[in-house]
Amino acid sequence: MSRRPTATFRQSLTGWLWVAPTLLFLVLFVYGPALANIRYSLFSFSAMSQSKTFVGLANYSQLFGDPLFITALTNNIAYAVISVIFQVAFALTLAAVLEAKIFPSFAANSFRTMLFLPSILPVVVVGLIWQLLLAPTMGLIDQALWEMGLGEWSRAWLGDPDTAIFTVIMVSQWQWTGYIMALFMVAIRAIPRDLYEAMELEGASGARIFFNLTVPGARETILIVTIITILGSLKVFDIVWVMTAGGPNHSSEVLGTLMYRAAFRDDTIGYSSSIATVIFFIALTIGVVQIKLQKDH
Amino acid sequence: MNKLLTATALSAMLASGAAFAQDKTAVTFLHKYPEPESMEFFQAAVAAYEESHPDIDIQMEAVADEPYKDKIRVLMASDQVPDIFFSWSGEFGRKFARDGRTYDLTDALKGSEWEGRFSEAALDPLRFEGKQFGVPNNVNAKYMVYNKEIFEENGLKEPETFAEFVDLLDTLNENGVTPIAYGNQAPWAATHYIGDLFAKYVPSDVRTADYQLLSDPENLYTHPGYVTALEQYQKLGEYFNRGVNALPHAAARGSFFAGRTAMMYVELVEFYMVPGSALEEAGWGFFALPPVEGAEGDQNLLTGAPEGFLISADTDVADEALDFLNFITSPEQAKEYVKTTGMTSAVIGSVTDETASEEVVAGLERLEEADGMALWLDTDMDTQSANIILAAGQALLSGNAEPEKVMADVREAALQVQETR
Repeated sequence: MSRRPTATFRQSLTGWLWVAPTLLFLVLFVYGPALANIRYSLFSFSAMSQSKTFVGLANYSQLFGDPLFITALTNNIAYAVISVIFQVAFALTLAAVLEAKIFPSFAANSFRTMLFLPSILPVVVVGLIWQLLLAPTMGLIDQALWEMGLGEWSRAWLGDPDTAIFTVIMVSQWQWTGYIMALFMVAIRAIPRDLYEAMELEGASGARIFFNLTVPGARETILIVTIITILGSLKVFDIVWVMTAGGPNHSSEVLGTLMYRAAFRDDTIGYSSSIATVIFFIALTIGVVQIKLQKDH
Repeated sequence: MNKLLTATALSAMLASGAAFAQDKTAVTFLHKYPEPESMEFFQAAVAAYEESHPDIDIQMEAVADEPYKDKIRVLMASDQVPDIFFSWSGEFGRKFARDGRTYDLTDALKGSEWEGRFSEAALDPLRFEGKQFGVPNNVNAKYMVYNKEIFEENGLKEPETFAEFVDLLDTLNENGVTPIAYGNQAPWAATHYIGDLFAKYVPSDVRTADYQLLSDPENLYTHPGYVTALEQYQKLGEYFNRGVNALPHAAARGSFFAGRTAMMYVELVEFYMVPGSALEEAGWGFFALPPVEGAEGDQNLLTGAPEGFLISADTDVADEALDFLNFITSPEQAKEYVKTTGMTSAVIGSVTDETASEEVVAGLERLEEADGMALWLDTDMDTQSANIILAAGQALLSGNAEPEKVMADVREAALQVQETR
């Protein structure tokens, strides 16, 4: 009884040695800063200040009472919901259609490449290009609407508080749907072909094949992609910052831009850390749910 | 074994290289002029200085305007402040001074070499509690630039009063010309209009006391002129191009330079971009936003500010840093600066017919006629209050904010910050 652990300890020591460098790296660069951040969120200080004032949970009570926090959280949720619809449901449908041999292979390959291309562009470039396309009066989209006699549809998409965040979300979908679609194509190819052939022989409709075979077959990928999409929507910053910087009048603020603004515009590092902590805990919850779901299968 | 030898040799070389570099005194220098014209000047100036001071190594780095605001804060927080760093004047620079992060230059600038180099208008905004914390590098002001051809076609002339200005805007609107090009996607653009109007509607002593949070708490930001100024800004909304809040400043400028609009509120340091544009062909002039009759503020302030270089309080090479600043703001270098960059140097006598275009010279002369400057609002107010104005600059135009409510919010934020000071 007392000897066995030593043997396993010896065996496990080798294992520990193998993972030690990675573990050390994680502690130094991930867990350490995360804990330091939680500590910072209990203080009030700016980048300039030489000392920190302990304020307890005041930053959190200020945050939860801040209408901007609600705006940002709502925008993040809208971001996640729309992204799941497009990048999971729509991308899976696209993948199934392209894999179903409906189109000749040349056309299918062209479509796949075209849909995939936006995802290799840097986010900043995508943001700036769309900003120009969407510019009122001189932008291509506005001019196209007028040319087509749809002048009444024309509006300052990014300058209108009602449409700004949704415009940014749609640009994000344009960029990433094709990428996720490519992942799904891989997943669909892993489903044995003879199952498809069997269903086709029975005369099943395309929709039935999709729901009874493709969806269950790609379940693992669907689950992972959904989690990645939700986490990505929660952490989104770059595309929003480039296209609207959270404006106009904070209407397109997300948690990421709120956190950045608090630290680098308002000089309230402690408050910014409390936002970071909230993002961290939301992400942690989603991560735990993901692990549970995967265990259940 | 061979590998080991190579590694040893390499590290020995690196060590000796480091030792070699240590013979020189390093002065780190961070600024926000990465544009090619500016870099051309600064690189030449650094090279010239290093040639005459072989024991000094100036390590220069430049980042653009917006990122600079982040970078300097990060460096401050991590105690890696460069020996010389750029700052806007007003609150942006004052907060460094308030926290004791800047080197006191008061006595140094009294030296005979510096005597009479800068105007009071350039020095004052870089002072805190009577101490000089920055050396001005350039001065900048904002003017309403107009397209002469469009003005002639519509029978217009430069307005003398604000009421005339509004009539002129109405005429342009009636004739189907977009009166003013305006890109407020990054809302600092709005603070230039709002700051100018605040200065016109609120007495200067009240305004500066409010900005610096020195007013009595019960009076802080309560002067009715603020609300009137915001109402006036909101009225200007009828005269801007469509989609102001979606348009970057540079895009609006492009459309104005292409001759598509009659006017634009433009900085003096942007004048050098006009040559070669359709605006240049049409002919152009400029005027300061005209006085508002009967308003309580100072009608002869120009919106604008000097910006300059600060020396870190943590520096070990203060004398060397000062000497370098003395060099780049010397009359010869300042002339070179104006010639190369098209900027308006703060050094007296550097902007002349030889170094700058007639419009830039005229712009600087007009600035000298002003009673003083209304600094860029977002660098003059405390950050928290300024952020409310920044957001309101967009919301007032899209109809999502009311002037009274905006000022109430500003007051609330300012009171909170005032308590912590």
